[in-house]
Amino acid sequence: MTSSSEAVAPPAVELQGITKRFPGVVANSDINLVVRRGEVHAIVGENGAGKSTLMKTLYGMHRPDEGSVHVAGTEQHFKSPADAIAAGIGMVHQHFMLADNLTVLENIVLGSEPKSRGALDFGAARRKILEISAAYGLDLEPDTLVEDLGVGDRQRVEIAKVLYRGATTLILDEPTAVLVPQEVDELFGNLAELKGEGLTVIFISHKLDEVRKVADTITVIRRGTTVGTADPKTVTARQLAEMMVGTELPTPETRESTVTEDVVLGVEDLSVLLPTGRTVVDGVSFRVHRGEVVGIAGVEGNGQSELVEAIMGLQPLAGGRLTFGAEDMTSWTTRERRDGGVGFIPEDRHRQALLLDAALWENRILGNQTRPPARKGIFIDRGASRNSCKNIMKEYDVRAPGCDTLAVALSGGNQQKLIVGREMSGEPKLLIAAHPTRGVDVGAQAVIWELLKTARHDGLAIILISADLDELIGLSDTLYVMFRGKLVAQLDPGDVTPEQLGTHMTGAAA
Amino acid sequence: MNVVRRVGLALLAPAIALVVAAIISAFVILAIGEDPLVALRELVNFGDNSASQMQAVAVILNRAIPLFLAGLAVSIGFRMGLFNIGVEGQYRLATIMAAWVGTAVVLPRPVQLLLIIVVAMAVGAIWAGIAGILKVTRGVSEVISTIMLNFIAIGLASYLLTGPFRGTPEGSLTVATEDLPESGRLPGLNGVMASLGLAEPRSELYGFLIPAIVVGVLVAILVKRTRFGFDLKASGLNPTAATASGVNARAMVVKAMLLSGALAGLIGLPDLVGDTYHYGTEFTSGLGFLGIAVALLGRNNPLGIAFGALLFGFLDRAALSLQFAGIPSQVVTIIQGTIVLAVVIANEVARRIAIRQAERTGANLPTARPVAGEQQATVAQ
Repeated sequence: MTSSSEAVAPPAVELQGITKRFPGVVANSDINLVVRRGEVHAIVGENGAGKSTLMKTLYGMHRPDEGSVHVAGTEQHFKSPADAIAAGIGMVHQHFMLADNLTVLENIVLGSEPKSRGALDFGAARRKILEISAAYGLDLEPDTLVEDLGVGDRQRVEIAKVLYRGATTLILDEPTAVLVPQEVDELFGNLAELKGEGLTVIFISHKLDEVRKVADTITVIRRGTTVGTADPKTVTARQLAEMMVGTELPTPETRESTVTEDVVLGVEDLSVLLPTGRTVVDGVSFRVHRGEVVGIAGVEGNGQSELVEAIMGLQPLAGGRLTFGAEDMTSWTTRERRDGGVGFIPEDRHRQALLLDAALWENRILGNQTRPPARKGIFIDRGASRNSCKNIMKEYDVRAPGCDTLAVALSGGNQQKLIVGREMSGEPKLLIAAHPTRGVDVGAQAVIWELLKTARHDGLAIILISADLDELIGLSDTLYVMFRGKLVAQLDPGDVTPEQLGTHMTGAAA
Repeated sequence: MNVVRRVGLALLAPAIALVVAAIISAFVILAIGEDPLVALRELVNFGDNSASQMQAVAVILNRAIPLFLAGLAVSIGFRMGLFNIGVEGQYRLATIMAAWVGTAVVLPRPVQLLLIIVVAMAVGAIWAGIAGILKVTRGVSEVISTIMLNFIAIGLASYLLTGPFRGTPEGSLTVATEDLPESGRLPGLNGVMASLGLAEPRSELYGFLIPAIVVGVLVAILVKRTRFGFDLKASGLNPTAATASGVNARAMVVKAMLLSGALAGLIGLPDLVGDTYHYGTEFTSGLGFLGIAVALLGRNNPLGIAFGALLFGFLDRAALSLQFAGIPSQVVTIIQGTIVLAVVIANEVARRIAIRQAERTGANLPTARPVAGEQQATVAQ
């Protein structure tokens, strides 16, 4: 930091005071980030913390409302990704953008084809690609069809695509999310090569063990703003998790145990495969009793989402059985599960829980179409639905002008309270709450915690998935840790320390 | 007040679009060296006596009825983001099958008519259902499959017409199915108009106007008031959330296609049972594609679709009189195209304004109970 060469060379990327607002939300506020040339700089934060928004700003996909972007010492105002590419910034997206039926060569040159007197010059392209491949150890075969490549190879093609366009700073958006462990190691090898050649890598992730392994500097983002940087050599996963999640929140301590002997949900040896054949949920078994909160901890991407979707009937099972009370629920449709008394607060409310362009009363009955108050024979009872919507707004403190307001007009916290109210008012026997307080402000968070505690006291069985360790430890009666699709530990939330939980979450104890 | 504003905006947008379309069309007419005012006069000139005025009304309505049904058929798919481009093939095949079944048996009039309607709806539903099933089982885009099925349907209809279903003798100039028996014909409404004290038009006003209105009301109730309609809307707005709410996405695709096809099956019937009584080489074509435009004009709303169909009927009526005034009848097609484009653009702009307004209202609301006077930033993805 103090060496004279760095004082001369400006940082590869410097962001100052970046603020980006979307209607009703502030996605990034006062972000400050300095990425030195030739380093691997990790940006960590929960899903929804604002990492992607920030990277879109840096890659010119939208413009910040406030703040400045400096690349190699020059202030830049990117209007589009093309401007960012021209300034030497390249992005490797989490979801690959490759044409399966073209070769590696064709995919790499697509959009910036080399021309020689108007004709395509594949010879020059091939030479350049082989140079890049050799220089960074990417091991590319230009004439292979992309459809014949594995995931790791495809990712190297994406990286080559960016390098081919002359990028000196690469943004990798959750590059390890789609990789198996061996491929992750190979990727880290490639990153080391890139670094060795003087390129800069910005590595976005929420996998704490990985960033500690690969990064030179770590910047943590929480609730849309940068909360600090850490040195991967000295920071522990626990400390990083604390920075990510924050510890200033009131601990959602539950009172006396209300756990009963009645099993509400039985999960037996449940397995889920991705379409790619990767096992994401691997032989998971557990039980949830009346009045019990079962917490499932885990670094994101270890199968929790798929587990929840499998229980809701949204993911086909590769194996295993589900029982609900005394009945076998395995073959029930999602609607049968909901009608049977399973409530669901999904992790991504915009994607899975709301019709943003529809009125609040319509959102009130979403998922409850088949039950009162919405149902009147084959008809929807609009009057009763509206009244029920009004009641929920009152009881659950949803701040909105009225039930005809479009859901898109509400803040995240109010949307979430509406969802929680809706799921609770169906009087479920089992509630699946995935990140119930994600992206909501502290006030709404306290309200939601209180609701969950009351419902548990009244005999509701709850499965709680969360990235917030305090929330998990505070609310759960039983706590499992999920790692690479398996439940690797059962812990007593009464005496588990956050350090122990963190160790289990990163797989270090397994 | 918010609702009033939204409805006002929804009506204002198409009104502005119509004016813009009229101006553009005027320039087009100028560009081909004709007088836009002459064209306008021909458009609104319904004749100088009540009989010819009623005739104009009958012509407009007779054209609007099938267009309305076509718009309804397309709108069912649109509501959940399905593009049923195959309405054309569905109604052509449905009409020839209905025409044939209608001649094959002779039953009392209501039963005979009901049979014709049921056959037409069933054939349309089956033909559209093929695309639905291909989509949910094989992932074939319904856009592609319905277009392809159009070719097959039209080819199949031609084969049936010239082969097994041919009712006209070999060597005759027209190729058509046999005429429907008297019991398969739906009387016109001219008698009703006369009893209302209106002048009788020269051509019969289709009796199918009544069933079409009934179908329109039923479809409106179905999409706006029933659980099926809610599921349809939810699937269109956010398929993932609809699935999470318990809607079976695959079943919804098939159901929507079946319903869309069943409605498409009705399109040819106003002409068949009210005017031609047979399906032939000269049977009205292109209604399925026009239905797409009408559905767009009507924003998938049955009442809007009725307006769209009437507007198209109104413009189509003038095609002949424009030619008498020396203006090519293709001008009508240009006007129609311009209107559709203008309305679609205006609706999209209006929708964005509405959402922005809604968001602004939301942004000015207190988000939640402020804790210790400090409001945490709410975080988006």
